[in-house]
Amino acid sequence: MTTGNTVDSGADRWQVLRLLAARKTVLISLIVITVLVAAALLAPWISPYDPFKLSIMNRLKAPGAAHWFGTDDFGRDVFSRVIHGGRLSLMVGFSVVIVSSVLGIALGLVAGFFRSADKFVSRLIDAMMAFPDILLAISLVAALGPSLINVVIALGIVYTPRLARIVRASTLVIRELPFVEAARALGVPTWRIVTVHVLRNLVSPILVQGTFIFAYAILAEAGLSFLGVGVSPDIPTWGTMINAGQQYMGSADWIMIFPGIAIVLSVLSLQLVGDGLRDVLDPRLRKEL
Amino acid sequence: MLRYLLNRLVGLVAVMFIVATIVFVIIRVTPGDPAAVMLGPQASQQDIAALRAQLGLDQPLAVQYVSWLGKLAQGDLGQSIFMNKPVLSALADRAEPTLLLTLMSLLIASAIALPVGILSAVKRGTTLDQSVLSFSMFTSSVPSFWLGLLLMQLFSVKLGWLPVAGYGGPDASLATRLSHLILPAVVLGLVNSALITRFIRASMLDVLRDDYVRTARAKGLSESRVILKHAVRNALIPILTVLGLTTALLISGAVVTETVFGLPGVGSLVVSAVLRRDYPVIQGALLIIAAIYVLINLFIDLLYLLVDPRVRY
Amino acid sequence: MNFRTSRRGGGLNSLLLAGAIGLTALSTPALCAAPIKGGTISVATIGEPPTLDPMASTADLVGILTQHFFETLYTFDAKWNLTPLLADKLPDVSADGLAYTIPLRRDIAFHDGSKMDSSDVLASLKRWTETATRGKMAAKIIAGIEAPDAHTIRITLKEPYAPLTALLAMNNSAAVIMPKAKIAPALTEFVGTGPYQLKARVPDQYIQLVRFDGYKQREGEPDGYGGARKQYLDEIRFVPVSNANTRVESAVAGQFDYVDSLPVESLPKLKNGRSDPVMLKPFGWPRLVLNTKQGIMSNLAVRQAVQLALNEEDMLYAAFGDKDFYKLNGDLYPEGYPWATSLGGKVYNKADAAAAKKLVDGANVQDRKIRILTSQQYEFHYKMALVAAEYLKAAGFTVDMQVVDWATLTQRRQDPAVWDIFITHSPFLPEPALIDFPSKDAPGWWDTPRRNQVLDAFNQARSQEERVKRWADVQQAVYDEVPFIKVGDFNAQAARSPSLQGTQAVPWPYFWNAWKSAK
Repeated sequence: MTTGNTVDSGADRWQVLRLLAARKTVLISLIVITVLVAAALLAPWISPYDPFKLSIMNRLKAPGAAHWFGTDDFGRDVFSRVIHGGRLSLMVGFSVVIVSSVLGIALGLVAGFFRSADKFVSRLIDAMMAFPDILLAISLVAALGPSLINVVIALGIVYTPRLARIVRASTLVIRELPFVEAARALGVPTWRIVTVHVLRNLVSPILVQGTFIFAYAILAEAGLSFLGVGVSPDIPTWGTMINAGQQYMGSADWIMIFPGIAIVLSVLSLQLVGDGLRDVLDPRLRKEL
Repeated sequence: MLRYLLNRLVGLVAVMFIVATIVFVIIRVTPGDPAAVMLGPQASQQDIAALRAQLGLDQPLAVQYVSWLGKLAQGDLGQSIFMNKPVLSALADRAEPTLLLTLMSLLIASAIALPVGILSAVKRGTTLDQSVLSFSMFTSSVPSFWLGLLLMQLFSVKLGWLPVAGYGGPDASLATRLSHLILPAVVLGLVNSALITRFIRASMLDVLRDDYVRTARAKGLSESRVILKHAVRNALIPILTVLGLTTALLISGAVVTETVFGLPGVGSLVVSAVLRRDYPVIQGALLIIAAIYVLINLFIDLLYLLVDPRVRY
Repeated sequence: MNFRTSRRGGGLNSLLLAGAIGLTALSTPALCAAPIKGGTISVATIGEPPTLDPMASTADLVGILTQHFFETLYTFDAKWNLTPLLADKLPDVSADGLAYTIPLRRDIAFHDGSKMDSSDVLASLKRWTETATRGKMAAKIIAGIEAPDAHTIRITLKEPYAPLTALLAMNNSAAVIMPKAKIAPALTEFVGTGPYQLKARVPDQYIQLVRFDGYKQREGEPDGYGGARKQYLDEIRFVPVSNANTRVESAVAGQFDYVDSLPVESLPKLKNGRSDPVMLKPFGWPRLVLNTKQGIMSNLAVRQAVQLALNEEDMLYAAFGDKDFYKLNGDLYPEGYPWATSLGGKVYNKADAAAAKKLVDGANVQDRKIRILTSQQYEFHYKMALVAAEYLKAAGFTVDMQVVDWATLTQRRQDPAVWDIFITHSPFLPEPALIDFPSKDAPGWWDTPRRNQVLDAFNQARSQEERVKRWADVQQAVYDEVPFIKVGDFNAQAARSPSLQGTQAVPWPYFWNAWKSAK
């Protein structure tokens, strides 16, 4: 379990970063992620064109000086759309991490802390993990209705069990530790002790899992949008762009290829960083992987 | 051992119960009136009301829930709205492509993972190891539908080596059917090989280390037999885990891949059912697939019992 | 050099139909072979049909499939004139236009072996008037249907109604004849008189039709949908391929004998592939239907504003990609048809955002949100919707795009509370009365005195000259009251294997006169 290094002192934080940066692949990935996030945040200012502006007479132009990634079937600049799509896709990914973290921590704490609730909650977690991710996501989005927010909620629910498991396990261990008894004797309410200590100890694994969930969420949203059961097709996420670009495979490949490359870059970088974090933050989690 | 089994079975029933409840809740929350969908746009209000009564949709939610559970216990998953046949039989009809696809993908993933995993374990720490790990990470970052479309464009359209989509007509031979599955299986296998690669690598590293210890004390045949038994057992355990995990990933992946390649499997059935608001089918598919996953996990745990002497319950 | 031949079942009919539908297939008689009996073909269609009961759906797909195993009393020949199919002759209409006497053919067998007589026709027509959209439309003016003897049917009307026979000939929402024993509110068996019978249906995989050996051909030669139906092929399989891109790739790869409903933009790809492109020019017209009953579109000024704001040229270009594939035309019929008019100039393709805004301001509308309901299943609908949304936004509206699958759209459009505009299309129909105008019962709910007056006048007119005049009145009413907005004329694209002969470029492809050459 995770009673390894805690990362709450400033010196440790820099040490982590230094250790991370020491591995070349992780360093490059960190840089890529920073670039992507920066591009997403600055999208309205750095997009050369308005990603929504139709210019029908300009449609299906190949990549060139005027349009680096070409134009799509409505004459919209693909480069600007990929950046904007990144804004949305990354936002979805990040929000999913937040949602699943909040729900996962809550569930995990309750399960670890209240033995009576644990019986039910851990079965609930098992049940939720019995559904394949995409199927559960599709059903939830179908139930809630197709919108960006509902996709975030659905995917957040799908990834909650993973975090809940980790939090629960940690809670179960920590509540048995002697200093908890001591603190209780001093009059500090048990839930406060457990929560604070659990959360402190969980920063690392949640960070690691969160990075991976971010990556999975980007892929999942793209898949849902591609199937037509995710976000509405007029919203430019990387997934809807690939869906729209299908029709022009072989004649205007750029519409489909660039969003795909963007997805691969983001997901790969996130996974590499997640791996690096895992190795660096907790030597006991680190097997010979 | 028996107590363990009983415990697990009770747990299984509890989990399935919760699964069924989750499915019921999801479906009932979905907007839209199943009766109106069934009868189509021309139906009158009276017809719709009559069908609602017939389907029991006008009962309070709790009553519907109980009666649904009762039907489930008898194996009645309801009737597909769109196809007008029992959900179970609709699922059974579509099971073959998904099963074959999952098996083929698993084979391909293992075929990729085995040499790659062993190689990187043997050459542990070298740049080869690093690049192998990065490559396997790369393949798991590619969206399966994107890769599928690209491969389809190359192999089916431009080169014409493989069929574009579908599963062959009613009288297609097994060979034809398999040819339709090659590209989707390659896509799924490639994208999901990373997990197996890592497990094989880890497992090999463990075994190699143990080997060194044992060889130091090796004294002849009996010892090597011990090594073999020990090595194999150790190697099997994590592989069993990863096979279970990968199967879940493959079923997930099948949903998208079947849609891209037009395979009439369970995955594409669920997508169509969602688009057509065929609630009984969505319900049934979720239930069956979750049940299969839970059973696979149980099976793997039982295998652990047999294989790993350290496990004691 | 390759010559693509296109023989029409041994006949020498030209396919230029009185200035109506044209063809772009070349014909070189020297390379035509004689029709070969036998073989199986696979036809890729736009998706899985919602039903196999032609009375229960107005979807073109249902009509295309079911016309092979169900038949109507009448049908259309190569020149789009009415011709008898299950009837023996054209109907004998009384002088006052109120009584139609229809003689039936004898010795027609159903697929289950039973013989057709007037009691079956009576029961089928009754079901049609109760279940089918077009039947219910006809029911309003039908006083009664009787079977005076075993081989005659008589329909009496409340008022003259020239389109009646055309309604009986339409293969969509069709008045098909089935055995009275098999009639039920929801059909479980699909037994008809057609040249092919239904053998198996596996949803999402295929619909399998086999030759009906007990079929009695009409004498003579094939003539459009009428005349003799030759039944060369042993088996026809319809395979649903709902992804348009997959259909295109399958056509390029030569995986099917015929691929229907291809995006016109795929023509260059098809030309380089293993199937021959088949283009129907012009095919039909897309339109935006406005909800006149409830919501923002119930206000005439808003509808007129929308009409002024749209840029149909951009919409068509975005949807079809090449000027060869569409034509700008605001009138309901293209030139060459007897029903063509040229009245639309003042309100068509204006893209006048300022004028539109002024109209809406004048109408004192507070909430300017428009809900557009569309589907990606017909990708050109979606593209037109997207472009329309931009122009509506320029005119000061906000737009809420709701993109759903077609099945959901057909359901949602029934509810006046949830949409303001939806997109649909139809082929150019041989008889204007067959156009499904929005009405009291049909989405759009256009039900004004002027509408009813012009349509009644049109339906009651007897001579062709009078009908053409009345049609212009209908057209003008559509422009003035804006129940829907026509976007333009467009072509349809399909693809055919070089070895498949005997098919025509028609709105609803049929295969009973098709054969596979030895190649």
